[in-house]
Amino acid sequence: MRYVDELRDPRLIRSVAAEIARLADPDRHYRIMEVCGGHTHAIYRHGLTELLPPNIELVHGPGCPVCVLPMGRIDDGLAIADQPGVIFTAFGDMMRVPGRNGTPLEHQARGADVRMVYSPLDALKLAQANPEKHVVFFAIGFETTAPSTALTLQRAKALGVRNFSVFCNHVLIVPAIRAILDSPDMRLDGFIGPGHVSTVIGCRPYLFVARDYGKPLVVSGFEPLDILQSILMILRQLAEGRAEVENQYRRVVPWDGNPAALRAMAAVFELRPYFEWRGLGFISQSALKIAPAYAEWDAEARFAVPGIRVTDPKAAQCGEVLKGVLKPPQCKLFGRECTPEHPIGALMVSSEGACAAYYHYVHRLATAGRSDRCARQQPV
Amino acid sequence: MRPTDVHPELAQYGSCTLDRDGCVTCGDVAVPVVVLEVYEQEALCEDRAGNRARIALDFVPEVRPGDLLLVHLGVALARIEGGA
Repeated sequence: MRYVDELRDPRLIRSVAAEIARLADPDRHYRIMEVCGGHTHAIYRHGLTELLPPNIELVHGPGCPVCVLPMGRIDDGLAIADQPGVIFTAFGDMMRVPGRNGTPLEHQARGADVRMVYSPLDALKLAQANPEKHVVFFAIGFETTAPSTALTLQRAKALGVRNFSVFCNHVLIVPAIRAILDSPDMRLDGFIGPGHVSTVIGCRPYLFVARDYGKPLVVSGFEPLDILQSILMILRQLAEGRAEVENQYRRVVPWDGNPAALRAMAAVFELRPYFEWRGLGFISQSALKIAPAYAEWDAEARFAVPGIRVTDPKAAQCGEVLKGVLKPPQCKLFGRECTPEHPIGALMVSSEGACAAYYHYVHRLATAGRSDRCARQQPV
Repeated sequence: MRPTDVHPELAQYGSCTLDRDGCVTCGDVAVPVVVLEVYEQEALCEDRAGNRARIALDFVPEVRPGDLLLVHLGVALARIEGGA
């Protein structure tokens, strides 16, 4: 069995970094997107950009569900929270995300019954303990989170808990990758694929990236050696003229994903025809809604949701950062008006957001006297 | 022994623990745990820091004590190699 010492062994890491440097064509500029916010954090936490040749640029992807949720959906959720008799539950990460009229925490301060939960199963227990109230769960997340919501709805139906419903904002990672590949202002050479999302969906859904767009995608773990090895696997494919989906994280990710979780999701959800993503606009079939068989537990069917659309603050450039067109410090507000203490854009609110990661691991060090190559990179 | 050394073999699957699991909405950094006891559809599990929780097993069949699981939001999503 491998231990983390091996995955962080400086000798092994230097060896992989040297192989990356040897394979990288000095006349070429490589742009590799890490789709997942967890990878973004690991890259900064371990200073991996410092180990790469200057012509390999890591581009942060849209893999943070809080960051890609448009402000209007938060306002829609808070409109439900303000209804009498409602207990509105959300993950801790959502509590400080601003809507047009404040955050869930601020709505709580104004009298709404807003509560933080760790899991949708906890929200269901809250409904069972408060039969005189209606408990709404603000569901958000990619395919790692959607199975828990599906399981919760199956249990609510089986137990006959009718004072519980879900405001569903689950999104899917594959349509987002396709939208990025179709974006005219984006040039990428390959993808570091999500790690734990892939435990659920497997590797097959990414095959179109290689087949239709000719780009390598390597599903990666989160340790420093995992990420460097994934970059090396991408470079090898490029050097050999290959474009394939490869699984670096085989110790966790099965090629076919988790069939039981996928079955539960298929039973409870159906695809929305389209859904708005912050920074990426409307993407067809990119999000989940609750299927008719579970309509009784669908908060959007139960409550009049206003369907608010809100334009992001003009000065904030969240969209460009989400698409990887700009690096976080290239946003006009980064580190000045927009900080983790006073976030303006969602990418600074969520702990997985690219701006929060950059602020914690690079900006603070840079302002303390260290430079970083990312901070000097130019927009494409 | 540091608290995070209770199950050092779990550290290769990310740094999250049951009480500090990063961004829950993302969950792409899920929590690795060791199975201690198995009940019908739940298992008592322990993370690398020694935190314990009951985890739903609906999506991972035939779990046994000693198995390593990847957990998100109180639900097991995958069995990972290296367990019993």
